[in-house]
Amino acid sequence: MFMKNLPKYCPSCSSPLSVKRLQCETCETEVEGLYPLPPLSGLANEEQAFILNFIKASGSLKEMAKLMGVSYPTVRNRLNEIIEKIQTLETSQGAENG
Amino acid sequence: MVNSKKSTWLFNPFTYIAGWQALLIGLILILVTGYIGSLSNTHFDGVLDTHTGRSAPLWFFLITGIINWLCMGVVLWLFGKKASKGTFRSIDLFGTQALARWPLIFTALACTILAYTRFIHTLIELTRTQKMPETFSLIDASVFGLVVFVMLAVLCWTVRLMYMSYKVSCDPAEGKAKKTFIIGLIVAEILSKVVLIALMANV
Repeated sequence: MFMKNLPKYCPSCSSPLSVKRLQCETCETEVEGLYPLPPLSGLANEEQAFILNFIKASGSLKEMAKLMGVSYPTVRNRLNEIIEKIQTLETSQGAENG
Repeated sequence: MVNSKKSTWLFNPFTYIAGWQALLIGLILILVTGYIGSLSNTHFDGVLDTHTGRSAPLWFFLITGIINWLCMGVVLWLFGKKASKGTFRSIDLFGTQALARWPLIFTALACTILAYTRFIHTLIELTRTQKMPETFSLIDASVFGLVVFVMLAVLCWTVRLMYMSYKVSCDPAEGKAKKTFIIGLIVAEILSKVVLIALMANV
């Protein structure tokens, strides 16, 4: 299934984007405001899928290793990379929010 | 894609295999390598060393591989504790370090080639008598050169595997991986030499 990528940065100035308008798909009611994107949305689709599977596997690295067909330390290193990325995203968001 | 998976299996199999599984396969291969080495009196007498010549009982050939693996494992475990970004499982490091030594089986096999062992004896004779022995053969010399080339290639491959084992198992912080591995390799080489020389003196 084709999945559209959520744009996270301004194509003009590269600053992080926020959500301005939300719409109900049933009644088409629209809400306008300025909502920051959650840190997880700053991750790549593949990284988000990893987190989803990790939660489904009850946080078991062994289960994840079986699911992905890789070794335990490979999964743990992948998780460490994602944790580092989330920490960086949180730090940059915190800095922007003052 | 298939090629990249093949090269991963060759140069970083620890992406797919680690822990107890790697330890069991690695230890079996270390012992098999030691046994094949005993057929041509080839000693892996140091983390990075290979020498052919001196005869010794079979147990000595088997134990040298285990000592090399333990020296490398213990030293990298200590370095890993300092350099790792977080925590790591010791079994992953010791298991993958055991498996990282598997290419040495090719060195052991190459050393069983008769022309190679014949040329070693010719060299020993030459050193002893300071005269060119009658057994000197150009074919034997060429085979010897080829085996030495194989040994060097296998050594590079083994070191690469040992490094990947350390990197995957300990996940050292950026910029620390290569530096701590090189120092660890030198320390482990010295440690293994000291242990093996002490052991060899009693054989």
